[in-house]
Amino acid sequence: MDARSRSVACTIVLALAFVCALPVQAWGLTTNKATAKPNEDGGSEVIGGLPTRLTWEGTVEEGEKVSSIHLEIPADGSFAESTTKVTALEGLSRAPVESEVSADKNTLTVSFGEPIGEGLLIRLEIYNMTLPSTGGDVVVSGTYQNQDGEQKLKDSDPPIKTIANTPLQSMVNWLDNQEWVKQWNANQFLGMFLKPQLILTSLSSLFPGWLLCLGIVIASYPFAILLGLVFALMKISRHRLVRAIAIIYINTLRGTPLFLQIYIMFFGLPMMNINIDNNVLGIIVMAINSSAYLAEIFRAGIESIPQGQYEAAASLGMGHLQTMVNIILPQTIRRVIPTVTSDFIMAFKDTSLLSSVGVMELMMFSKNLTSVTGNMTPYVTAAIFYLIVTLPLIKVVSTIEKRIAKSERGGGPRPKAKAKKAEVAVVDGQAVGAEPSLVEALSAPFKAGTSVMGGTASVR
Amino acid sequence: MSTMSRRGFLQNSALVLGGLSLTSLVGCGGQASGGSEGSAPAAAAGAGAKLVEEGKLTCISNMYFPPFEFMDEKTGEAKGFDIELSNAIAEHMGLTANWTSESNQSFDSLVPTIKAGGKADIAIAGMTITEDRKQEVNLSNPYLDSNQSLVIKKGSGETLKTLDSDEKTIAVQAGTTGADWAKENFPKAASAGNIKGLDDIITAMEGVSTGNFNALVTDLPVASYQINENGFDGLEIEEEIPTGEQYGIAVSKDNPQLLDDINAALEAIKQDGTMAKLQKKWFGQEL
Repeated sequence: MDARSRSVACTIVLALAFVCALPVQAWGLTTNKATAKPNEDGGSEVIGGLPTRLTWEGTVEEGEKVSSIHLEIPADGSFAESTTKVTALEGLSRAPVESEVSADKNTLTVSFGEPIGEGLLIRLEIYNMTLPSTGGDVVVSGTYQNQDGEQKLKDSDPPIKTIANTPLQSMVNWLDNQEWVKQWNANQFLGMFLKPQLILTSLSSLFPGWLLCLGIVIASYPFAILLGLVFALMKISRHRLVRAIAIIYINTLRGTPLFLQIYIMFFGLPMMNINIDNNVLGIIVMAINSSAYLAEIFRAGIESIPQGQYEAAASLGMGHLQTMVNIILPQTIRRVIPTVTSDFIMAFKDTSLLSSVGVMELMMFSKNLTSVTGNMTPYVTAAIFYLIVTLPLIKVVSTIEKRIAKSERGGGPRPKAKAKKAEVAVVDGQAVGAEPSLVEALSAPFKAGTSVMGGTASVR
Repeated sequence: MSTMSRRGFLQNSALVLGGLSLTSLVGCGGQASGGSEGSAPAAAAGAGAKLVEEGKLTCISNMYFPPFEFMDEKTGEAKGFDIELSNAIAEHMGLTANWTSESNQSFDSLVPTIKAGGKADIAIAGMTITEDRKQEVNLSNPYLDSNQSLVIKKGSGETLKTLDSDEKTIAVQAGTTGADWAKENFPKAASAGNIKGLDDIITAMEGVSTGNFNALVTDLPVASYQINENGFDGLEIEEEIPTGEQYGIAVSKDNPQLLDDINAALEAIKQDGTMAKLQKKWFGQEL
């Protein structure tokens, strides 16, 4: 921001202050504000009809002495069950205050033993009160007593925005009243880790975080694969310099914690005046981090292809690039699918680290919810969300690994395998013209008793 | 004596479990109350009070809250106002305050840990006495008055008014009264999910310095210490927010004797001038 725009901003602020200051009315006790604590489970709205905490603040003006305050909220609200904490402050220091509070339906009266003198801030924190259940804007009004008698209080401004009860909240309230839920929660373990009400609210409020986790990892992975492939090829390059670059890149990223990389990127880039949206930056960090691991996986995959394949390709008159693209990489893909999937699982779980820098992903939501509720259930629900993604993938990995192991051992239904073998030999033989399609390469491990791996031997 | 050693064993196993904080939350809850029957007093003043470890007042806190509690950058030792206060309290009770590397937890886990019991006797962490916390644990008499503050990057021109927008992000420490204040007073930012509850206030300050967040809300003494003494001079306090909140020490509800002892010790510390000395040392003045 340059000096000019700052001065413009200042002028506007000054002008606003002036406009606001103009219609000064002589309030003996100025209402500063009235706010309510959000009471939506796992959300940030103020829901009418459910217990919340109302905070009202007012300042005693010059030459005034306030002996009591009488607050009023719309008829549907209630102070009946409330308890009130009264604080008087002189500047930032607490001033001694004696008070008596009486509540009646939608009105609350605070009488002070000793009248509150000028310049003091009065803070009323009214716990366990309810605002009107219909929702909408709620204004706190009322009166106060000063040395001259009863005076009207300025209505609170801005009003408190409230919403009517949500279906989810109604379900939670219904659960609150169920006998089995009470007994369930009375058990220390069940109540702390598997509280039904919280499972319900967590499922709904953690969902956006789960989507973001998935979004980040799905968006970052294609880049990670590309980058990884590039660095894998660089690492097996014949040029020493290219190799060195790849080794430094891979080892630095694999040798340092992702947590540290996140901190460096999220706090370092803004210091260099590079400002990227948090979510995009999250994708970038995840992509870079995964690329190092993928590079190693790809390199190992490429190096695991038997030397005979290169020789066979050479004997067919293929160049280096052609050999790589048509012969080596398609076979590599097949071999690395399980490890890449495992890495994907890791990457998906590692998005949780982004919560430490304020990305609103799954972990962040569950942490927030746990801190508000003091209960572990949101973490357990987050675990469920992670498992929804990881368990099927883990199953996929183990299935593929079994298939590959079987086919490498030469297992599978014998007669069929013989027929396939011939076919594959042809496919490989034809590689100069029509390479095995990517789909085929990718799907091969899933097919029962496939002997694609065995097929490679026939070229040899 | 034999009952003593058995209890010691139980408590040691509790400490081991404490490493897995989740396990300790449940696993030790029942045991802390069960293992204390007819136990011998640890010290004259601590008669009847149950302690996790004999002769020691085991403390937990969140160590990223200077000047109340922080780790020495060289030795990793616990330092700060609360640490010295806990030493003074322990001394009055004939105990020693026990601060270890395991004493550091996230702020929002302190109350649940004390409630579950078994890992620590007290949580002393610049923790405001609130009705919500009082439902979970006992809180000692207030030992210090505090207020909130709104911290922004110097020259960013943010104010209370400009910050209540769905385009602004405000960092807070999860589970604190500052977090509550921000949610309540920036409803638009809150609805947009832009009140970010972080693990510690240092991360929040770094985030505001770099522009990741537009502002943060935290306890005033912490904000002024960090800005004036601890190198965060790129930040400024935009608004001192008078809340008149007071800090208390959290003790399990199963341990009323310990609460009484701590309140007595606090009173004595105030009377003999130790409290004033500590405040002078850490805040440059008596608060």
